[in-house]
Amino acid sequence: MAVSSEFKRSRELFINLTQRELKGKYKRTVLGQLWSLANPLALMLVYTFVFAFIFRIAPPVGSPSGLDAFPLWLLCGLLPWIFFSNVVQQGMGVLLANEGLIKKVYFPRNVLIFSSAASLAVNWGIEMMVLIVALVIAGAYGVIVWLPVVIFFMFLLAVFAVGIALMLSIANVHFRDTQYFVGIILQLGMYLTPVIYPISLVQVQSDRFGSLFGVFSLVDLYRLNPMERFLSAFRSLLYDNTWPALGDTVACVLISAVVFALGWVVFRRNERKLAEIL
Amino acid sequence: MTEVAVHIDDVSKKFRLYKERNQSLKSAIMRGRKSVHEDFWALNDISFDINTGETFGLVGDNGSGKSTLLKCMAQILYPDKGSIAMKGRVAALLEVGSGFHPELSGRENIFLNGSILGMSKQEIVKKFDSIVDFSGVSEFIDQPVKNYSSGMYVRLGFSVAIHVDPDILLVDEVLAVGDETFQQKCADKFVEFRRDGKTVIIVSHALGTMMTMCDRLAWLSHGELQAVGNPESVVAEYRGVAQ
Repeated sequence: MAVSSEFKRSRELFINLTQRELKGKYKRTVLGQLWSLANPLALMLVYTFVFAFIFRIAPPVGSPSGLDAFPLWLLCGLLPWIFFSNVVQQGMGVLLANEGLIKKVYFPRNVLIFSSAASLAVNWGIEMMVLIVALVIAGAYGVIVWLPVVIFFMFLLAVFAVGIALMLSIANVHFRDTQYFVGIILQLGMYLTPVIYPISLVQVQSDRFGSLFGVFSLVDLYRLNPMERFLSAFRSLLYDNTWPALGDTVACVLISAVVFALGWVVFRRNERKLAEIL
Repeated sequence: MTEVAVHIDDVSKKFRLYKERNQSLKSAIMRGRKSVHEDFWALNDISFDINTGETFGLVGDNGSGKSTLLKCMAQILYPDKGSIAMKGRVAALLEVGSGFHPELSGRENIFLNGSILGMSKQEIVKKFDSIVDFSGVSEFIDQPVKNYSSGMYVRLGFSVAIHVDPDILLVDEVLAVGDETFQQKCADKFVEFRRDGKTVIIVSHALGTMMTMCDRLAWLSHGELQAVGNPESVVAEYRGVAQ
C-alpha cells in the first residue's frame, strides 16, 4: 500500500516535471517546439556537405529498401546518437540544477533524471516521426512494418541512456569535473561510433592491419562500443528495412538491462545523502 | 488523545566539517583522498514523542540543531543513529515556492508545485480555487510567475503548501510571509489545522508567538535536548540560561 502510493506519487510528479521541462524550454520563442528539429537538421546539412559532398563517403545501399541517400542514412544514426548524448549530458547536471528543490522538499530524487530523459524522448519521438515520413517519401515503404521493433529499440536505448545518466549524475555531485570530462568523451564518442561514416570503412582498415596480438581485429575492438550496436540496429530497421543482426539485438538488450540495473543501484545508495552533499 | 504522531528515538545526526574538500578530480588525485574532515554532531541522542493533534514548537539558539531535526522529520536528511517514526501524511514548509518555474504561469506552477509536495492531480483540481483564493493573486494567475512581486510569489507558494492537507505539518520560520492580512489568514489556517486534530511542528525564534501558539515546546542547545514541556516553563528555563 505504502509502496503503491509512493509509486503513484512519483508517477504524477514525473508527468508534471516532464511537462515543466517541455513547456518551459521553448517559452517565448516564435517557433516553439520546432526548434528541437532545427538542430538535427542543421547537423544533417553540415555533415552531408562535408562528408558526402567533399569527402565522398558513400553509405551502403539499403537492402531490401533500395535506399541510397546519405542524409537519410546519416539521420538514422544521428538522431539516436543525439538523443543518447542529450540524455547523458542533461541527466548528469539535473541534480545540481535542482539543488534548491532537493534541499527543501522530500520526493523520490530519481524522478528528476527520468523526467529529464522523458522530455528529451518526446523531442526524439517527434524527430523520428519526421524521419520516418521522409523515409517513406524516399521510397522505403517497408519501414512502416518495422515501427513496433523501432519503438522497442528506442525504448532500449532510453533505458541504456538513463542507466548511464543515473550513475553519472551521482558522480557529478561528488566531482564537478564529471560533466566536462563526459562532455569531451561524448564528442570523441560520436567519431568513434559509425554515426557519420559506415562501419565498412573501419572494416577496410581493420583488414589491412590483420589481427592484433593474434586475438582480435581492429573492428572487434571498435565494436565493443555499445552505441555501435544500437546504431547498427536502427540502421537495419529504418534504412534497410530488415531485422537487426541477432548479435546486435542480444547485445542491446543485455547492455541496457545491466547498465540500468547498475545505475539504479548506484543511485539508490547515494540518494539519501544528496541533500547533504550538494 | 495521547496517540503518538511522531516518535523520535535516540536520534543523532553527524555533519562533516571539511577542512579541505576536493570536489575536483585533480585535487582529489593529487592529494590522494577526497577530503579531510572532522565530524560535527548536530544532534545528539535526541528522544521525545509528539502527540497527535498537538502544536509543538522547537526553540533554541542559532545552530542548536532544531532545523536539522525538522529536516530529519521531513526526510530530507537522514539520522546517522536512531530513528524517527511519523504517523500519517507529512508536509514540510521549509521553503515556499520550491520548484516554481519562472516562465510558467501561476496556474501551471500550482500543479507543478502541488505534485512536488505530493498532491495528486484530482486533489489539486479540487483545491485549485481555494489555493488561488487564499494566495490573493487570482488576477495574475495566468501570468508567468517571474513577473510576480516577491510577496505574490511567496504567497502563492505558501498557499499551495498549506493546502497539502497533511496529518503532520512541519513549519520552519516561514510564518512571517506576506502583509498583515495574509499573516492573519495564515494564523487562521493554523487554528483550523489544530481544530481538525492535525499535528503541527514549528521551528521559530519568536518566543512570544510560540508561547501562545504551541501546546508544548522542546528546547535544543548544541544538539542536545535541554527540556520538553509546557511552553511557559520551557521558555522560562531558556530565558534563564540566555541571561
